[in-house]
Amino acid sequence: MKKFLTSLTLAIGLFSSCSKEGDLIATTDSQGKTTLTFDATFNGTDFALNKDFTLGTKTFNFNKFRYWVSNVILVNAAGEDVKVAGSYYLIEETGAINLVGVNNEVSTTIYPATKREDVSLKEIPAGDYKAIKFGVGVDQKYNDNLSLQSGELSQLNGMTNVSWMWLTSYIFTSATGTVKDGATSKTLKVETGLNSNYKTVSLSFPQTIKIGSSKSSSIVLNVDLAKAFNGVDIIATPSVGAAQATAMATVANNYATNVFSVKSVN
Amino acid sequence: MTYIGNNALVRLSACILFACIFYACKKDNSMEEITPRLTNVKLPVASNFPAVDDDFDNPLSAEGIELGRRLFYDTKLSGNNRVSCASCHRQNIAFTDAVALTNIGVSARKLDRHTPSLFNLAWSKTGLFWDGGSTNLESQAFGPLTNPDEMNQNLTELEAELKQIPDYVKRFKVVFGEEIKSANIVKSLAQFQRTLISDNAKYDKYIRNEDGVILNDLELAGMKLVKEKCASCHSGALFTDNQYHNNGLDASFSDDHEGIFQGRFRVTFNPNDLGKFKTPSLRNVMVTAPYMHDGRFNTIDDVLDHYNSGIQASATLDQSLKQNAGNPGIPISSTEKLAIKSFLSALTDHTFINNKKFSNPN
Repeated sequence: MKKFLTSLTLAIGLFSSCSKEGDLIATTDSQGKTTLTFDATFNGTDFALNKDFTLGTKTFNFNKFRYWVSNVILVNAAGEDVKVAGSYYLIEETGAINLVGVNNEVSTTIYPATKREDVSLKEIPAGDYKAIKFGVGVDQKYNDNLSLQSGELSQLNGMTNVSWMWLTSYIFTSATGTVKDGATSKTLKVETGLNSNYKTVSLSFPQTIKIGSSKSSSIVLNVDLAKAFNGVDIIATPSVGAAQATAMATVANNYATNVFSVKSVN
Repeated sequence: MTYIGNNALVRLSACILFACIFYACKKDNSMEEITPRLTNVKLPVASNFPAVDDDFDNPLSAEGIELGRRLFYDTKLSGNNRVSCASCHRQNIAFTDAVALTNIGVSARKLDRHTPSLFNLAWSKTGLFWDGGSTNLESQAFGPLTNPDEMNQNLTELEAELKQIPDYVKRFKVVFGEEIKSANIVKSLAQFQRTLISDNAKYDKYIRNEDGVILNDLELAGMKLVKEKCASCHSGALFTDNQYHNNGLDASFSDDHEGIFQGRFRVTFNPNDLGKFKTPSLRNVMVTAPYMHDGRFNTIDDVLDHYNSGIQASATLDQSLKQNAGNPGIPISSTEKLAIKSFLSALTDHTFINNKKFSNPN
């Protein structure tokens, strides 16, 4: 009977423990959180808006850098995937944005200047972790149906494709500004999207990290935006969108394999 | 208490534990505790129609459908509060607009595409818009809502505007258990649109042996001709395969204007999809002129003439249009034309275009 009561008490305790998304995750003292940081850089220099960056003969200057990170998975020491529930995060560094495809004369369509590089990963089972995986963009289920909600997904922040009217879906990554090469200056707008361009990044840690309730931990990733343009003649194709399918696929592959690396974990 | 009994108790308590976890989680989603119970709705499917799948992400309820109907007819859904969905989707002509390329949107600029009719959308699972760029009705709604040339609606502003109206606040709370959000606006619009079923034309009654309705000889001849000449695309009870075809309107497809002339290609980027557009249904076709994705043909005669003698050859031309000894074109004589038109008239669903359930509630 005592066991019964103990279980019942535990059950009542668990009653209120589910996450808001309704996921079957029980909170116990064997869980912890970790901070995941996306440290933006450009070819080895700290990234900032309205600042000149040199890459070969070209000079880049950005007014916006935004991308969706989704379906974060931590790989534990045993090699098992541990999914972070509801992990849809908008990582961004941007000045105030007049949202495209909406009425720009109304003040509410201005998205305020924002810098966001940190994500808190919560309810992670305590243990040692050796790698991280995440998607750049939004997976097909949510990309195909803008009315489904999870994490930070929203139709209201200018990262949906109302600018590509014929494809109702999310913009996965967006980097805009200017690019100069000698006397040539072009307006830069490099965006990715489309289900075929949803990519998963896999990164191993230099050493395992311990996540638990008693210890704070952090994962810092280096995000080199310069690498997003690898293999794209950016002066010839300064605007990459749904109509530039080949260039967009190249940029999406760069995000998958070149842009992200592990800076430090502890 | 015996050992066995104790063990059973442990098992029982484990069951209760899981039941509690399940209940705790379920409660967050369903909101059954704090909102009135919704009236579940199953779409009525006629015996001559294919089965329809339930939509688990947006289950139909009478309350959700009614909310969707109200939103569909509400001009508040546009930036200037003058344009509703129904401005271009008029029930009396099967929810289209009788204009090739309308300019009644907020910007007053002419659109690039002809307003499609709206019916039997619950079976339309292969993409919406003429080139299929939207996967479901929920996402699709964001297109016309935000396009500056259509409803030009700022979604944040729309949420705020609808929150000023107590009746909407109440209805959203009942249907979705939360405050007004743009995601729920498009969900209720989708629910209403899925109920727009056209299955009661003279042809349907004939096929179902209802009320002693029969088709006359001319209509029957037309039915046979449509099956022979048109059913490779306009197939089945829906009179559309819901697929994408190049029906020979143009010989080339420029990439001007963000690829608007390239059809399905600009969604798939597959060269085999150049110039392909979604097959519209032949149901209600006699009330939905003008025709094609750009409304270029004013009458059904123009359309039949096109298939008879106007087909433009190109690499992606649908092979089923080469019914003229292997050459492009579908031979249709003038007597055949009369029979075909007679049958097409038997596909007009007067019940549907007059059904008060689909009309403006105000």
